[in-house]
Amino acid sequence: MHIPDGFIPLWQCAIYYVILIVALYFSLNWARKNLDEKMVPLMAVLAAGIFAIMSMNMPIPFGTSGHMVGGALVAIVFCAPEAAIIVFTIVLLVQGLFFGDGGITALGANVLNMGIIAGVVGLYTFKGLRKSIGKYPAIGVAAWLSIFLAALATALEMAFAGTFPLVEGLAMMGIYHAFIGIIEAVLTVVVIYVLEKIRPDLLAWNRNKNLEEIKPEQSEVTAK
Amino acid sequence: MNRTGSVIDLERETSKESSLHSMDGRIKLIILIFIIVYAVFSTQIMVMIFLEIYLLMLIWISNVSFKTTVTRVLLLLPFGGLIILFQPFIHPGTVIWSGAFGLQITYEGLMWAALLVSRLIVSLTSIVLLSSISPMQEVVQSFRKLGMPREIAMIFSLMIRFLFMFYDELHRISQAQKARCFDAFNKELPYKWRMRQLGYTVGMMFLRAYEHGETIYLSMASRGFSDESNLYHDKKRKIGSREYTFIIVTIALVACLQIGAMLLFEHYGFLGIRIG
Repeated sequence: MHIPDGFIPLWQCAIYYVILIVALYFSLNWARKNLDEKMVPLMAVLAAGIFAIMSMNMPIPFGTSGHMVGGALVAIVFCAPEAAIIVFTIVLLVQGLFFGDGGITALGANVLNMGIIAGVVGLYTFKGLRKSIGKYPAIGVAAWLSIFLAALATALEMAFAGTFPLVEGLAMMGIYHAFIGIIEAVLTVVVIYVLEKIRPDLLAWNRNKNLEEIKPEQSEVTAK
Repeated sequence: MNRTGSVIDLERETSKESSLHSMDGRIKLIILIFIIVYAVFSTQIMVMIFLEIYLLMLIWISNVSFKTTVTRVLLLLPFGGLIILFQPFIHPGTVIWSGAFGLQITYEGLMWAALLVSRLIVSLTSIVLLSSISPMQEVVQSFRKLGMPREIAMIFSLMIRFLFMFYDELHRISQAQKARCFDAFNKELPYKWRMRQLGYTVGMMFLRAYEHGETIYLSMASRGFSDESNLYHDKKRKIGSREYTFIIVTIALVACLQIGAMLLFEHYGFLGIRIG
């Protein structure tokens, strides 16, 4: 899903960079309000973790392989698409600058797909489906849809750039990522399940719940 | 896509000594990104050939191994190569070959594919050169000096530090799995079970990530870390004659190439044709 340098004309890269700058502006505002000094190292470690996990090849049914992206995972863990935007800006910058995976001129487009679209779709699908189908099925559907729609967005951008025809691009990217999405869904569910079982305090909804649950009269400091 | 070895190899390559290695990080970053942007802007293969020659000369000056560079570029090519492979068949234009099932290769498609390959090679060579002459932390510092927001620079800097630790852990986990004969691609094992094992591996990676982050945070906090701290150290390095020479030579080359692209190259066959 990483678009390399040279596949998108410069003027279109500029449009995606403007989208990236606007998204980063709002994400940084969110980070300043919501991330304390403890959360900054945690987010950096999460970015390194996403980077390492993206290098793990996983088997897909029908004999091919793919890797996890994690846009929905980051957004769901932090309960904020802004977290996915910040993490993926950094991860894709490192991948583009040091490993030639993705591109520097195409960074805006890649963050749009894997950070903004995957993060927003992942989180809001999860929030929308959570009550109706249950937490873990909602996480699975959200992760699958995030990767599927991000892939379709990549196909649209490539068609807009004149690099790949729209219908063929949508069909190829759609079919391939429908299978890649299975990995994304299964692994996102397992990771959140593991976090929920072992370290529930790391999930944003539990952190918020814990804060709400501590009433003033229950506070140790107030009681003394 | 396993970068376990390459992360370590990259940092080893940056520890070499040359006039390019010791240059100010900002200049290396700006100039090599400038070359990539110009390659993406240009539509003539001739321009790409001259840019590639210039980059190969820089690689020679910087004592970076040609073999390593070529190997890395070749390993990275398939990522975009698949899309390029389709180009001769999907672009409308003058048909130069027809085959079974209505397959046709057009001249325009072939030229577009050649342009994309040449752009990709120039971009990848620039990236390989940049990553071979600049340690990751130097690039982070350069971004910070160039105005990257403090929060992003902080996460970026910390992420680079954790990256090496993660690759060690990933390597250890995969070694442990191999020692127990686990192969995620072994079709004898049930697919669901393999996915569950991979899920637990990823889950453990995340948990270790968080827990390492917490430990590191506590040790940083005990050394005076706060949300106002700057984690990068500013080396007082002046931009000298070497940096100015590098800037002038690159800009002069790009200016000459642009003049040649507008006035001269079109007279030199298909390599000079404007494509797209």
